[in-house]
Amino acid sequence: MAKSTTFQCSVITPERAVLECETTSVVFPAHDGELGVLVNRSALLCRLGIGAMRIQQGSSTQTLFVDGGFAQVIDNRLTILTEQSKKPEEIDVQAAQQTLVEARAMDMVDDNAFTARQRAVESAKVQIHLARTK
Amino acid sequence: MANRRDLVKRRKAVRNIRKITRTMQLIATARFQAAFNRATATKPYTEKLTELAADLSRAAGEVDHPLMREPQDVQRSSLVAISSMRGLCGGYNAGLLRSTVKHLNVQKKQDLQTDVTMVGKKGINFFKFLKRPMMEQITHLGDKPAFEDIEPIANAMMDRFIKGEIRSAYVSYVKFVSTAKQQPVVIRILPLSSEENEAETNERTSSVDYEFSPSPKELLDELLPATVRARLFQCFTDAIVSEQIARMVAMKAATDAAEDMIKLLTQQYNRARQTAITMELLDIVGGSSALE
Repeated sequence: MAKSTTFQCSVITPERAVLECETTSVVFPAHDGELGVLVNRSALLCRLGIGAMRIQQGSSTQTLFVDGGFAQVIDNRLTILTEQSKKPEEIDVQAAQQTLVEARAMDMVDDNAFTARQRAVESAKVQIHLARTK
Repeated sequence: MANRRDLVKRRKAVRNIRKITRTMQLIATARFQAAFNRATATKPYTEKLTELAADLSRAAGEVDHPLMREPQDVQRSSLVAISSMRGLCGGYNAGLLRSTVKHLNVQKKQDLQTDVTMVGKKGINFFKFLKRPMMEQITHLGDKPAFEDIEPIANAMMDRFIKGEIRSAYVSYVKFVSTAKQQPVVIRILPLSSEENEAETNERTSSVDYEFSPSPKELLDELLPATVRARLFQCFTDAIVSEQIARMVAMKAATDAAEDMIKLLTQQYNRARQTAITMELLDIVGGSSALE
């Protein structure tokens, strides 16, 4: 029996299922750096960071922007739960630039505000970068 | 005896109304389909989150998260009531507001203050009429609230809860049970109860050995707020589905009633016409027989 080299990958946001496909490899931004998943990976539960995830389908690669959330691998199924996910072509560069300016102007009064600002800035930066390099 | 011309006028008016209500019914049906699809699309996310929460709390053992603790010394709670922006949806708002007011009265009996966040014009007007205080009024959410719109509401709620300003948070909305049944309910969102998670756990007996990154506790810290946000979002999408169904049913009833009325008016008109003809004939016959 030929061993399967693909596994299921789905990306779900509260509003819709963004992606549902068979893939050979996925790289996603974990909270502490990028993390790659291949077939038969052991069970994993991991927090996501902000960045681009790349999904390999045959010879083409699909890129998606994810903004925090969780990743779960179980029985050759990767599920990405994120509150915001966009395809590069869906990103509005101007809006992202606007949010970047706003985010930079945010007050850093306490720790929470500081992390919120960090997040907003990074999210906007990654979006702009992704939209430009698509 | 009814005037014939009045009857015709009235019938015309009813016909026009029927045309409008039928159109509104069709629109509501289309909107219901869209809203229903959106509500079903949010289900996988919420379900998966609950599953993860169950897996995590099993791994983390006894969990003690600020979102799960109930502060005892605070005499204040909050409530988000989701009413509609537009009327003509039958008993939808009436039912919702009745259960909301009932909940507020129960809270008051226990000496609990409730800060009300009212969503939708209909509820706002009703509370203004009752001269009940509202902490916040939200009218900018349309038929398709985005997750980003709901997020700040949920975050503000959790913020106040963690700071100890409120001891619990409730949501009052019309729950979508089935297309034939929608029920106004008040549910508690905060503090999160661990029982629900346990019920899930019992269902899935096969435990998985996960590799956690970061530790289960830290993951839970992030996961629980996400659960609250997802739940609140689900309430909103549910409420919109119920509203559209209520409007659909109300407009169908209105169209049916208009049809019955048209039938009745036509009958009355025909009778009036016949009577008039008979009278005229009698006049002529009477007149000619008097001449003989």
